[in-house]
Amino acid sequence: MPKPRFKLVMKVQYFSLVFPSLLLFTVGLILPMILGVYYSLTSWDGYTKDFPFIGLGNFAKMLADPHTLDAWWFTIRFAFWNTLIQNLLALFFAVILDTGVKAKTFYRTVLFLPCLIAPIVAGFIWQHMYFDVLPGFNALLGTKVNFGLFGKSSTVLLGLLIVNNWQFVGYWMLIYLAALQSIPRELYESAFVDGASFRIQFLKITIPMLAPAFTICIVGITVGSLRVYDLLVSATTGGPGRASTSIIYHIYNTALNARQYGYGSALSISLIIVLLVIAVVQLGVLRRREVQL
Amino acid sequence: MKRFRFMVLGLGIALALTAFSAGGQTIRILDGQSTTDAGIEKIIDAALAAKYPNIKLDWEIVTWGTDLNAKVQQYIQSGLPDIIVGKGQDLATYSSRKILAPITGKPYLKNVLADAVKSATFNGTTYGVEFNALYQGVYYNRKIFKDNNLSIPKTQAELQALIRKLNSVGITPFATHFLDLWSIGNITMQFAINDIFSKNPGWANEFRAGKINYATSPEARVIYNYNKLLYDNTWKDETFSLEQTKADARLVQGKAAMKVSGSWSIQNFLDVDPDFDFGVFPFPNQAGNAKLIFEPNITFMKSATTKYSDAVDKVFDVITSDKDAAQKIYDLTKTAPLIKGVTPSYKNPSQKDIDAYAAKGQLVDANTGNLQLVWGGFQDENAKDIAAWLQGSETLDQALKAADSRRAVSKP
Amino acid sequence: MIGSRIHTARDRWTAFTRKLCLQIFMIVISAALLLPIFTVINFSFKTRKELYVDNPLALPHSLYLDNYISALERLNVGTTFINTFLYTTLSVFFLAVLSGAAAWAIARNRGRFYRFTYLYFLLGILIPFQALFLPIYIVGNAFHLTNTFYGIILMYVATGLSFSIFLMTSFMSQVPVELEEAAQMDGASIYRTYFRIVLPLLKPAIATLVILQAFAIWNDYLLASLFVSKSSLKTLNVLFQQLFSTTSSNYSTAMAGVMISVVPISILFVALQRYFIKGLTAGAVKG
Repeated sequence: MPKPRFKLVMKVQYFSLVFPSLLLFTVGLILPMILGVYYSLTSWDGYTKDFPFIGLGNFAKMLADPHTLDAWWFTIRFAFWNTLIQNLLALFFAVILDTGVKAKTFYRTVLFLPCLIAPIVAGFIWQHMYFDVLPGFNALLGTKVNFGLFGKSSTVLLGLLIVNNWQFVGYWMLIYLAALQSIPRELYESAFVDGASFRIQFLKITIPMLAPAFTICIVGITVGSLRVYDLLVSATTGGPGRASTSIIYHIYNTALNARQYGYGSALSISLIIVLLVIAVVQLGVLRRREVQL
Repeated sequence: MKRFRFMVLGLGIALALTAFSAGGQTIRILDGQSTTDAGIEKIIDAALAAKYPNIKLDWEIVTWGTDLNAKVQQYIQSGLPDIIVGKGQDLATYSSRKILAPITGKPYLKNVLADAVKSATFNGTTYGVEFNALYQGVYYNRKIFKDNNLSIPKTQAELQALIRKLNSVGITPFATHFLDLWSIGNITMQFAINDIFSKNPGWANEFRAGKINYATSPEARVIYNYNKLLYDNTWKDETFSLEQTKADARLVQGKAAMKVSGSWSIQNFLDVDPDFDFGVFPFPNQAGNAKLIFEPNITFMKSATTKYSDAVDKVFDVITSDKDAAQKIYDLTKTAPLIKGVTPSYKNPSQKDIDAYAAKGQLVDANTGNLQLVWGGFQDENAKDIAAWLQGSETLDQALKAADSRRAVSKP
Repeated sequence: MIGSRIHTARDRWTAFTRKLCLQIFMIVISAALLLPIFTVINFSFKTRKELYVDNPLALPHSLYLDNYISALERLNVGTTFINTFLYTTLSVFFLAVLSGAAAWAIARNRGRFYRFTYLYFLLGILIPFQALFLPIYIVGNAFHLTNTFYGIILMYVATGLSFSIFLMTSFMSQVPVELEEAAQMDGASIYRTYFRIVLPLLKPAIATLVILQAFAIWNDYLLASLFVSKSSLKTLNVLFQQLFSTTSSNYSTAMAGVMISVVPISILFVALQRYFIKGLTAGAVKG
């Protein structure tokens, strides 16, 4: 039984292990968040020394500002479609790779490789894919398909979804693959003996056992999509027009270019609130299903 | 494991220390570059090291179009750099904000062409060293013109006849790449310089005062319709997805005859064919007296708050007197010199046209337009509406009205 | 998964065609996925004239190496590479040290304070730093951390702590408490217990952390573009975007630049592949 003084020393030492991280984290993340809330209540332009207090004026402006609403609309659509498509594709490929198709490691690498490229570089590459390389097929095959998805506001979302999925399907697929491979074969065997078809096996055994993977992937893809910025800078610069300006891109434009730091801070705070709400809701729903299944 | 950690830490500290090299003066230079300017910093560093080895430049390079203004704004509060490098049009903006130090009468200004010094002088005070110039107008394939007996059009009627002739022999009159909205914006400004600002230098101020509207102004309609003239006489179904380099390549290959552009295309032309023979003429205006547009480009400015005024002067001295370095920069950027006695060594067949227009006094400064209507937030937004109109999703009236709605933010 | 039993020749044929279709499908998909990478490699060896004039899918006439040489030069590889490398290694180093210690302290203490601390750190996972980039930039400017060598490292560490601590705590279960208790019985201080006993056992966890964070920091653009704009401090990705953005025609050099910038992270990945996959999938396996 350690003596009381020893125990105090231990406590101090444990605390000292945690303290630097606490300090850094608070200064680096929490302090900005608190300051962000403060600035969001002012109409600060980022440069002068005065911070005129305007209460919730920025938030009111946000709700009436078509550019902000457009940015939110784009971001939400991007996140929604991405979460849906990327999850399904990742699961799809994971299932295929799990069924013992030949050259599995090769396919796994091919699917995974794109995520090593920085999104800012991926956007650059795909610009050339759409405007240069893919039209090259037209010359070869004599077709006249318009591949310039980044050139029209009606197709730019599709273009970006393709790039993002190309990059990250492999990443999430690995998670599903690991989860799939950890399902004991006996479960399948006994179901098979009981006469269950492929489909039933999938629905009744695979899906429930994948529940934790679902949680990670769905939350991960949603959060990752909501904060899209790097890709947009190089792929479309937010265009054409403002068709692909995400909320973070909009904050960047508003604060740094249009010199509205107060308004930009309000936008940031609203983004944080949305992120927290979505995270809580998603985690709540998914964790509950995990427990159920 | 431990040894590795200390190695890394040591490396980090070593690098940090080398960044703050002791001895000599280090002056901060903020450079807003276009992508074609990349690399001039190395040439300048080498030239400076040769003449004044203990002056070192601490470079901060940002993209001119999007970031320079924001950075300057920020530094006005937290401490301006000693040298600001921008484009010719920044001179008026920054001098009016009183952040530039006057350099009137400095000895190194004698190395700069008189016209360039004049263009950098406001109310008798010179604020910058203009280093090179871009020429904007209609670049044309000389071989096509010669083979088809075409002469340089000076009026719209002559241009129309030229277009008809080209269409009849199956050559696309204009090479365009409307995929790049900045090209639409640039073309429109070129039209505006010769059709609006040459007649009425205060047009933009009257616009902002509400006396002129794009929607009702006949000249605004005229310049928007020039865009349509180009669109109707180019590869319509491709221009909104064609890259700049491909459009330039087609001009060189003879698939198109003309391109409304600027000196920045020269590098691309020469990449496709180093012997390409091209010339330049101003896009004809309604009055038939269009002038070739000359745009002062890279401009060096001294900040008003610098503590190293002498060192900055020395840097300017090197830039204007080191003819080898200057020539290297002109060759790198494929631009025209504004430093006396320097001839670039790259082949520029359009130079003889430029010299001819210069000799006749038929050059107009691009700043007559660029200082009137700001690029970011106005010109680039108008380009989006023009693109929408040409593609059929807006009417011309809607595009013009949209320009009117941006009245308040049009001031540079 | 188990399919139907193979009884007859017909079943064998069905199974065979199914496998064949699957293979063909995967081959087609792989070709499509590799096309952009093929394009990068292809373009990096072409001259500008070939790029402007020839069909983009055609192979280069010869292996033109000038693009690589000019990419190395224009991307200031000497400076930007070293900068990005140092920012990444130092940030990851500090992250490993700090998060390991904090995670261990949290795992070994049941008290209310430590439970709260854990949730406090978890906040940073729900709120990615990109959402807070504006206030972070303001704070960075106010404390004169922008455009300094250690400022950006500080920020990378601060923003990476949440995920790192989360990752390390999940690996803590692999460290047997008995060893620590034995050491402490012998009179070892907390510090000695941590550094001598716990840390060596955490090697796989640290490897996972290293690769996940190195990868995130190396590929970062937003924070790097805001915090370090001086040429002497710039990172590879930021300079790449500046040089080769939309208005640039010089994409042959750019493509060579892409190849160059991908090399280090690929090497790291190949070396630590096992840990990467293990770390990614750690939470996905039920039970």
